[in-house]
Amino acid sequence: MSKAALRQATREALANTSVCSALGKFADNYVIAREQAYRHKDFEGLRREVARIKREAAERMEELAIQFSREATRRGATVFRAATAQDAREYIARLAKSKDIKTIVKSKSMASEEIHLNEYLKEQGLEAVETDLGEWIIQLACQRPSHMVMPAIHMSRNEVAEIFSREIKEPVEPDISSMVKLARRELRKKFLSSWMGISGANIAVAETGTIVMVTNEGNGRLTTTLPPVHVIIVGLEKLVPRFTDIVPILEVLPRSATAQHITTYVTMITGAVPAVDPNGNYHEQKELHIILLDNGRTRMAGDPVFREALQCVRCAACLNVCPIYQLVGGVFGDVYTGGIGTVLTAFFTDPQKAQQVQNLCLGCERCRDYCSGNIDLPGLIGELRRRTVEKEGMSYVQRVIFEKVLVNRRVFHKLLKAASRLQKPFTREGKIRHLPLFLAGLTEGRSLPAIAEIPFRERVDKLPRPGRVVDRVAFFSGCLVDFVYPGIGESVAKVLASLGFEMLCPEGQTCCGYPARQVGLTNSFTELARQNIAAFENINARYVLTACPTCAEALKFLYPQLLADDPVWSKRARWLAEKVTDFSSFVFAHREKLVPFMIPLKQKVTYHDSCHLKRRLRVTGEPRQLLIDAGAELVEMTPAALCCGFGGSYSIKFPELSRSVLDRKLQAVLGSGAEVVALDCPGCQMQISGGLDHERRPIRVMHTAEILASCIAGTVQVQDGKNN
Amino acid sequence: MALNKELLPDRNRNLEQLYEEFVTRARALGTEVYRVSDLAKARELVVKLVREMGARKVALAESPLVTALDLAAAVAGAGAEVTGGNPRERAGAADLGISSFEMAIAETGTLVQDATEIDQRLVSMLPPAHLAVVSTRRLVGTLMEAIYSLAARGQIPGYLAFISGPSRTADIERVLTIGVHGPGRVVVIFIDEGGCAGE
Repeated sequence: MSKAALRQATREALANTSVCSALGKFADNYVIAREQAYRHKDFEGLRREVARIKREAAERMEELAIQFSREATRRGATVFRAATAQDAREYIARLAKSKDIKTIVKSKSMASEEIHLNEYLKEQGLEAVETDLGEWIIQLACQRPSHMVMPAIHMSRNEVAEIFSREIKEPVEPDISSMVKLARRELRKKFLSSWMGISGANIAVAETGTIVMVTNEGNGRLTTTLPPVHVIIVGLEKLVPRFTDIVPILEVLPRSATAQHITTYVTMITGAVPAVDPNGNYHEQKELHIILLDNGRTRMAGDPVFREALQCVRCAACLNVCPIYQLVGGVFGDVYTGGIGTVLTAFFTDPQKAQQVQNLCLGCERCRDYCSGNIDLPGLIGELRRRTVEKEGMSYVQRVIFEKVLVNRRVFHKLLKAASRLQKPFTREGKIRHLPLFLAGLTEGRSLPAIAEIPFRERVDKLPRPGRVVDRVAFFSGCLVDFVYPGIGESVAKVLASLGFEMLCPEGQTCCGYPARQVGLTNSFTELARQNIAAFENINARYVLTACPTCAEALKFLYPQLLADDPVWSKRARWLAEKVTDFSSFVFAHREKLVPFMIPLKQKVTYHDSCHLKRRLRVTGEPRQLLIDAGAELVEMTPAALCCGFGGSYSIKFPELSRSVLDRKLQAVLGSGAEVVALDCPGCQMQISGGLDHERRPIRVMHTAEILASCIAGTVQVQDGKNN
Repeated sequence: MALNKELLPDRNRNLEQLYEEFVTRARALGTEVYRVSDLAKARELVVKLVREMGARKVALAESPLVTALDLAAAVAGAGAEVTGGNPRERAGAADLGISSFEMAIAETGTLVQDATEIDQRLVSMLPPAHLAVVSTRRLVGTLMEAIYSLAARGQIPGYLAFISGPSRTADIERVLTIGVHGPGRVVVIFIDEGGCAGE
C-alpha cells in the first residue's frame, strides 16, 4: 500500500458518514458502559495479572505448546502445529477432502481471518459458512470485518436487508428483529447438515489441554457440538500455563470488549466429547483437530520489544477508544485493526501495509489506559516507526529538516525567524488563514497562528521578576512557546514572580525532540536530548518547569528511557527528569500564596485535557482547581477527554483526519457554552483556537498560565491567541 | 494443580445474599428466575410453566436431579409430550428443553453445567426456550470461585458450559436482539431442599 493509497482510503472512509457515526456513537457509549462493567473490580490489578500470565506464557511459548499438545492428545484430540498460514490452510482442506466434506460451518475466528482461510477453501471447492451474524453478513457482502468484536459495525440495517434479499432471493424488510430470525432459520439448516465445524479460541490452557471460547449468539456452541468433525484454530499466543489463569482473562475480556460482565456463553472444551452426526449416529468421541498456529508468533516472542504485544487478549478496547479508528474504521489496519492491529499486521499478515498504517496513529496514547493486557501500544507503534525508518529511510526533505536543521539550534532558529518574515503576506490579526499551494492542507478548516516576530528567547531580559526571590526555577520553553506563543512564557514568568520564584531560561536549550521521535528518527532525538540535558546542568535551579506537556513527557519520561543504556548519559537524564514538572502542578503546589493576589475572573471556562498531560503526567485536577481559585465558573464538556487531533506533524500528514477529530472537539466545546477554553498545551491551543477562529466563533482559547497571569493584580495584558 | 485454598468457595457465605445477587444480575440479562422450597414444589412449577409457555414438545436431558423431579411425569401432566428419537431429533423438535445445572454464579448470573453428554448441550441450544433447574446450595459468589472449584476436581470435564441469559446479538447497528442461534428464553428454578445435582 502506498502513501497515496492510504490517504485515498482515509478520505473515502471519512466520506462514509454512516461508518463514522456508527463507530463514534458506539465509542461514546462504550466508555460509560465499560466503566459500569468494571464497578467493584480492580481493573489495574486485573490487567497487571493478565500481563503477568501472558508474559510468562510468551517466554515459555514452545514449552507450553508441547504441554498443551500432550494434554489435549491425551484427552482424544489431534494436535497439528502449523508453522505458516499455508500449513494451516492445507491441513484443513486436506482433512475435509479426505472425508468428502463439502460444507463447513464456522464460528468467528480472527486466526482464520488472518490465514485467509475462506478464500483458500473456496478455491479448493469447499464452502465455509460463517455463522456469527456479523461475520455472515460480511461474508455475504464479500467484505472483511472492520472490527474484531463487531465485524459488521460499519453497516446499516438497510444495507443488511439488501444483502439478505440477494441471498434468499426474496425481498427482506430492514427490520432488525426479523432479519435476526431469518439468519437463525437459514443458518440452522447449515448447522444441522454440516459434517465439519471450525472455531477459534480465546484461551488455550497448557496444563489441561482446555480450549476456552466466549460468544454471545450461541453459534460457537452449535459449531462445536453438531458436526462430528471439529477443527479449532488457535494462535500460540492464546496459550496460558494453568487452568486458573482463565480467571483474570475472563474477567477483563467481556468487560473491555462489549462492557458485559460475562458473555452469554463461555465454553470450555477439553478433548474430544461425544457427538451425533447428521445421520443420527452416536459417536463416543467426535473427531477433534486443534491447529496450533505460529505464523510469526515465535518470531514475535523472540523480539525483546514486541514480545509485549503477545499480552493482548483481543478485547479491541484500543480500537474502541481510538479517535482515528472511530473515523476510518477498518482502514486502520489489515485483518487486525486499530493500535494492536498495526503491530499484529507487521508480524502476522502484511509488514508492508503495517509500515504505512502505523502513520495513522495520532499519538494520543489513550489506548494505553484501556489496554486489558497492559501493553504500551504507543511505545510499540513508535518502535515500529523507528524500525521502518531505519530500514526504509525517509524522504530527503524530512531528513534535512530533522537531521540537519532541528539538531542545529542556530540554523533552526534562524530559519524560524526567516519564516516569520516570509509569512507576512498571509497573515492577518496574527493568524494565517490560507496558505499557498502544497501547504494548503494545513489551513484547511483551521487557521494557523503566525510565527512570533520576536521569539520568547529574545524577551527573556524583560520578564517580570519577583520583589524578593525565594527560589529559582528553570524554564523549558519548547518550540511553540518560543516561536509561536511567547505570551505563554511571559505569563508563566508573571505567575512565578508573584509566587517569589525567579525564572531562568538556559540559553542552550532547543526543541525537546519529540517530533523527531514521532517520525522515527531516534538519532536526532538522542542528539537533542543530550543538548537539552547539558543546557540545564549548568543552571542552578531546584525545578525545571515546562508549559507544554509533550516537552514535559519527553524530558521526564522519554529521555531516561532513550538513554537508559548509556552509562554516562542515563544518570544525567534521570537527574533532569527528577526536576521536571508541568506548570499547573507546580503552581498548584504553591497556590495558597497565589490566591490573595487574584482578581476573580468570573467567566464561564471549560477545560480541555491535553492527551500527554492527562495520560502521561496524570494531571487533571490541578489546572481545574487553579481555574476555580482564579474565580472561573468551570463547566465540563461532554464527552470529556477527547483528543483535539493536533498530534504535531500529524496535522500536516493527515490534515483531513486531524480536522475531523478537531470537529468533534469543537462540538464538545460549543456544547459546553463556555466563553473560554482553558488548556495546558500550546499544541492543543494552536489546533483548537485555529478551529474556532476558522468558524468565526468568539471563544477565547488560553493556556492556564495566561488565565492566571491575567487575574493577577497589576496585570500585563494577555492577548487571545496573538503572539506578541 | 496450584491452588490457593483461600479462593475456594466459602460454604458459610450467606446463601440469601448470593441468591439476591444472582437474581439481580440474571434478570438484568433477561433470565427469568424462580425459587422453590422442595422437589414437589419444583415439579408443580414445571407443570405450570410448561402450560404457560404452551410448549407441546419438551426435550429432557437426563441427570440425577431431572430423575428425582420425575420430570417426564410432570411434562405429561402438563399435557405436553416428551420428545423421542436420537438426541438431535429429540432436541431439534422441542419447543422447550429442560436440563439441570450444577453451579450458579451470583456475581454474573451464570449457570454452569458439565455438558460433556451431548443431550445436555442440545437441549439447552436447539429449542427456542430453555428451563434450567439447580440446587440453591450450589450458588457460589464469583467466577473465580467457580473456576477454582472446577480446577480442584483434578480432571476437567470434556465440555463445560457457562450460560448467562438468552442468546443475544447486537451485530446489526448495535441493536440488542435476543435469540439468534440459541434459546430466546431462559428460565431457572432454584430448589432449596432435596436437589442432588452434582452431589
